[in-house]
Amino acid sequence: MFNVERSGVELRKLAYKDDKCVGCGICTDVCPTSSLRLGPVVPIARGLIEMDLVSCNADSCVLCGLCSVACPFDALSLTIDGEDICEMGNYPNWETECVVNEEECIYCGRCYKVCPRDAIIFERTLPDRQELVRGEISIDKDECIYCSFCADLCPAEAITVENVPTSSVDVLNNNIEVDTSKCVFCGVCKRVCPQNAIKEVCSTCMLQDEIKVPEIVGDTFIAEGSCVNCSWCSEICPVDAITITKPFDGTLEVIENEAEEKICKGDACHACQDVCPCNAVEIVDGKAVTNLDFCNLCGACITACPQHIRVLNRTAMKLNNINSESWDEILNSLLGGK
Amino acid sequence: MAVKIDSDKCGHIDNCPVQGLCIKLCEQGAIIEEDGDVKIVPENCDDCDLCIQNCPNQAISKA
Repeated sequence: MFNVERSGVELRKLAYKDDKCVGCGICTDVCPTSSLRLGPVVPIARGLIEMDLVSCNADSCVLCGLCSVACPFDALSLTIDGEDICEMGNYPNWETECVVNEEECIYCGRCYKVCPRDAIIFERTLPDRQELVRGEISIDKDECIYCSFCADLCPAEAITVENVPTSSVDVLNNNIEVDTSKCVFCGVCKRVCPQNAIKEVCSTCMLQDEIKVPEIVGDTFIAEGSCVNCSWCSEICPVDAITITKPFDGTLEVIENEAEEKICKGDACHACQDVCPCNAVEIVDGKAVTNLDFCNLCGACITACPQHIRVLNRTAMKLNNINSESWDEILNSLLGGK
Repeated sequence: MAVKIDSDKCGHIDNCPVQGLCIKLCEQGAIIEEDGDVKIVPENCDDCDLCIQNCPNQAISKA
C-alpha cells in the first residue's frame, strides 16, 4: 500500500491498494514515466516475500492518473482535491459488471463457494425442518433400557440418551429425550428398539397437502471492489442469476517451442497457477491448461511464466469514455498480442 | 541441462535479500542449502527456469 501525493494548484493523490491488486502489470504497461514497477509476482504469490505487488517511484510519478484509469481491479485510484477521477465523468471508466439478480437467485450458495477472491457475501435462512414433516413420537421411559441403539442410528441426531448409573439400581442418572425439531419420523429408532419402548407415527404423506412449499430467503451480493470478473460464479450458477462483464475479450494460448526447449514444465513450475487471480489454471497431464471461461485476460501469468510461452491476445476492452487522443493511444496498447 | 550460479553475484543466502529465494522457489530439490551456501543438484533440475527469472541478484543462468 503506497500513496503518492503532491499539492500545487490542486491536491493530487495516487493511492495503491495491495489487497485489490492481482499483479497483472497493466499499470506498469501504461505508465508514461515508467514510475511503476511490478514486483516478483511468483515469490509474492507463494508467500515467500512479503511486499506489495506494485511499487512506485514517487520522484518520477507525474500523478497523471493513467494507471488508475487502466487498472480494471480498482487497485489504483487518483484523487484530485479528494475526488476520484473515475467518478468525475470526463475520465475513462470500465464497464465491467458483476451483478446478482435477486429475483432469480435461489440461494444455493454455489457461487459463494467457488469465488476465488471471496468476493461474494452470502447468507440464507432455511425453514425449520419441523414445518416440512408431520408425525408423532414418544418414548416410554419405564420400558427403555438406555441401550442407545436409537440414538446411535438416528440419522437426524434427534435422540439424546444419558446413561451414567452410579449403582446397579440407579435410575436417576438415566434419561432419554427426542428433539422434535430435528425428528423426521423415519421410524428407525422404533424398529431398532429391543424393548418396543418407542411409539412413532409418520403422517407426512397423508398430510402432504397441508405442508406448504417453504420460502427460502437470503442475500447474495458481489462486493464489486473485490471481484476480478472471472465468471466462476456465473458459470456455476444453476439458474443463470449472475451477470459478469469481463474487462477484456481475447485469447490466451500456450505456444511451446521444442527446438528452443521452451516448454511448459507443469507441476515442476506452476507459476501461472500460483499467480492467477481467477483460479483459471489447472495442471493436466503435466501441462498448464487455462480455462478461458474463468480467465479475465489480466495477463498476470504472462509475466510469471519463466518459459515465456504464454501468449495473450486481447481483442477488445470494456474501457469507455476515453476522451484524450494520447491516452487513447496508450490505453489501446493494452490490446493486441503480449 | 540445469543451471549455474555466478558466485560473484550470488548473495550466498546470508546476503540474499530473501535469504535463498532460489532454494525456497525450487520445489524439485535442485537447489539446496549446504554448509550455509547454495548448491545445485543438476539431476533434480527440471529446467523450469523459475530460479533464473526470480533471482534478485540475477546470479542464475543456464548451465
